Amino acid sequence: MKLGAAIFTFLFATAAWANCPLDLGRGTGWVVFSAHYMIAFRPDPPRIEVGEPFALLLNVCTKSGRPAELVGINAEMPEHRHGMNYRPGIVPGVDGRYRAEGLVFHMPGRWELSIDVRDGEETERLTHDFIVK
Amino acid sequence: MRRALLLAGLLAALVAPAAAQAPPNWSEDEIRAVGRHGPWPPPAVRDPSNRVSGTPAGIALGEHLFNDPRLSGDGRMSCATCHQAGRDWSDGQPKGIGTVPLDRRTPSLWNVGYGHWFGWDGAGDSLWAQSIRPIVDPREMANAAARVGRLLREDGQLACGYRRAFGVSPGADDEQLLVDAAKALAAFQETLVSPRTAFDDFRDALVGGDRQAMARYGASEQRGLRFFVEAGNCSTCHFGPRFTNGEFGDVGIPFFVRPGEVDSGRLGGLARLFDSPFNLLGRYNDDTTGASARRTRHVQRLHANFGEFRVPGLRQVGRAGAYMHNGSVGTLEEVVRHYSEVSPDRLHSDGTPLVRPLGMSPQQSTDLVAFLRSLDAEPPPRPAPPPLCP
Repeated sequence: MKLGAAIFTFLFATAAWANCPLDLGRGTGWVVFSAHYMIAFRPDPPRIEVGEPFALLLNVCTKSGRPAELVGINAEMPEHRHGMNYRPGIVPGVDGRYRAEGLVFHMPGRWELSIDVRDGEETERLTHDFIVK
Repeated sequence: MRRALLLAGLLAALVAPAAAQAPPNWSEDEIRAVGRHGPWPPPAVRDPSNRVSGTPAGIALGEHLFNDPRLSGDGRMSCATCHQAGRDWSDGQPKGIGTVPLDRRTPSLWNVGYGHWFGWDGAGDSLWAQSIRPIVDPREMANAAARVGRLLREDGQLACGYRRAFGVSPGADDEQLLVDAAKALAAFQETLVSPRTAFDDFRDALVGGDRQAMARYGASEQRGLRFFVEAGNCSTCHFGPRFTNGEFGDVGIPFFVRPGEVDSGRLGGLARLFDSPFNLLGRYNDDTTGASARRTRHVQRLHANFGEFRVPGLRQVGRAGAYMHNGSVGTLEEVVRHYSEVSPDRLHSDGTPLVRPLGMSPQQSTDLVAFLRSLDAEPPPRPAPPPLCP
């Protein structure tokens, strides 16, 4: 946890990413990053309940400061090798912000969220695990 | 030494069965898992897609229509013919019987208003849309919108009940009147909430740490409950206060309804959903925010949906006359045996299968059945519906 915070602080101090707004409101959410992308996101409503539809508010940033595109979002339960019964829709906002609608985690357990982003020709998948109880 | 070993063996033999009979000690995780199956009852249903949901006049009209055989084409079958109050809102038969014998079991209507997909294949995305289907299905009530419209316009009591529920007199648009009749039927069905059970008292005592109240729940039921939420993994699908996540699964029941003909379950249900003019994306949805249509807007049709059927809730499960979507399993004991012995070859899964043979001991099977029966309770007698317009 401390290591993650240190890495995050280092990355956040990097010039271009310092302009990446991570606060999506309510002061809650997660950040995932790679060498090139940083994505902040939070669910709406704030608590993900088994079987209940929710949306994700996302902010997609690149290290270079160029705008990036959110091209896909999905989730699956890796242990059971099944995905969601629902296909989320992505609505672009302003300044690299997006709203992904129509996610439902229909079982308790570990869900792996995959976020596909693109900057130019390069597409990359970043992931984040949720444990839903 | 030999005497000491004998004594130790004798003690072990005495203690082991006693441990098997004892109620479990509950861990924090287990208490949390059990807690998710309540509290009961939940708040009353209000369906935003149905403007008469939760309204006394809508409920009253719906109850009268529910019991009215004129809602069928030949005037001989009402909703209550198959969904009988005295049979836990089902018919006690392995498979339903309409104008012809049907291929699926008549589902109970207990707690139906809390669902989000309706029918065994989820072809309905609202309770009112689902209520239209049997009325116009030629295999069931075999009626038509024109006859339902005429009934609402020409019967004085029903017309008066309609005016009270919807605020206007029945108009000339038959399809609109069919939808409105279904919305009143849904408003009534939303009130069918099963009573509290011995499990609910235990669940509340466990969550509240009331050991005295906990002790009133049998040891066998407690062991069965622990198996349900832990080793059996049953609560992954039979989740929440209704004991269902409201979605769909393939639990190893044969697809064939007769030689050469299969029931595709959810796959076919989704095709019917998208084709229906009554789905929540259509003009009859009363919810102007669009929020109630989110599932319909985003649900996807997958190959894996073939042979999947809706996960049924388990409240009042021991009172059913038959089990599974096609009524092919006769008793609760046989249901448990099915999950204990289900063939993994029949269930295609790349990862850890959700349904797998549990290989239960006789004691575990007995305990699980005891727990499931603790989800039953005798409902209070229902008073006759009040007159629509006295």
